[in-house]
Amino acid sequence: MRKYFETIRFVVILGLFTSTILLGMEYITNKKIEAVIAARFKQSVLEAHSLSYTQNNVNDIYEAEITELDLEDVTFYVSNTTGNITFEFSGGGVWGPISGIITLDSNFELIVNIIVLVQEETPGLGGIVAEDQYLETFVGKSMLPSIDIIKDAITLENNQVDSITGATKTSDAFETILNTTYSTYKTIWDNQ
Amino acid sequence: MRLIKLKYTKWYNIMKQGLSESNPIAIAVLGICSALAVTNRVENAIAMGLGVTFVIIASSATISLMRNFIPSKVRMVTYMVVISTYVIAVQMFLEAFYSDIATALGAYVGLIITNCIVMGRAEAYAVKNPVHYSIIDGLANGLGYTYVLVVVAIIREMLAFGTILNYQVLPDTWENWVVMAMAPGGFFILGMFIWLIRELTKNYEVVN
Repeated sequence: MRKYFETIRFVVILGLFTSTILLGMEYITNKKIEAVIAARFKQSVLEAHSLSYTQNNVNDIYEAEITELDLEDVTFYVSNTTGNITFEFSGGGVWGPISGIITLDSNFELIVNIIVLVQEETPGLGGIVAEDQYLETFVGKSMLPSIDIIKDAITLENNQVDSITGATKTSDAFETILNTTYSTYKTIWDNQ
Repeated sequence: MRLIKLKYTKWYNIMKQGLSESNPIAIAVLGICSALAVTNRVENAIAMGLGVTFVIIASSATISLMRNFIPSKVRMVTYMVVISTYVIAVQMFLEAFYSDIATALGAYVGLIITNCIVMGRAEAYAVKNPVHYSIIDGLANGLGYTYVLVVVAIIREMLAFGTILNYQVLPDTWENWVVMAMAPGGFFILGMFIWLIRELTKNYEVVN
């Protein structure tokens, strides 16, 4: 019996010791990590608008070139030069969330760029959803009436994109995320 | 738990063991998964090597300090908890202060937890020996891992990209060997390196 208590006492002390280390590290790094994530997001927005930057001038270029418009709790990132509009999208994929940013032209209709920032799909199959080569097939396509990701198409209309071979569910999920986000954001944008 | 005390030796002999005679990669062939994955760039190899070195030293020191109190039934779990704590600390540190390297290393920083070298040193050395010897042993094994990674990475980065630490060292006419940036290139160079180290230390496997 005494041995069991000793084991439990050891486990509790070990838990306190390791938790202290982790909480200490969290305290030291938390703000810095948040700043890194914010800077990385700004870099992605600049890349979405094809704006070049260096690590030292990210904030300066961002402030000079991008206007943040907050409408009904949604932020739109508008290019001061082209008028192109970027906003975030997110939703459920097959294995986890898929999120990123999409840039549309100033008419809020044609896709200029899509960047997937987070995904947990199957590497080599659904994971292709984050690859530049696949996302480039969306460029120039229309979000109206809706973007359609279709299988085995011979010819593609202006609102249609090929699905990822062997990853139909990821393709369907991505289509739903883009269309749902677009319809919500389009209403907000039109109401401004 | 019955502890077997090792015969203590001079600190430089422990260092020599970790760096050459019992080198974790070249002789024990432990931790080669991450070694293959991160050695296509020298800066990644240095960051990974330093991360693993810190984790081995810190976990060996902690295990050694606790060695008289660890109940034998929860021995392995204790190693895992301690190692995981230090690995998460390294991960947070890299994400906060070296985010590019953290991104380049990806999941491999988290996978230091599963690196056999760390658990191996805890079980084979730290749990039986005083803290100062355990720290030297951790340092020796960490540096033994790091220098193999860096040497392999220098060769791979040079052949794959014509650079070392992103500085161009081969002429612009150099045709990059793409295979060297991929895992098969890592296997090839690591295999050659293991052969070289075993030849130099006269460490041959004996067939019974």
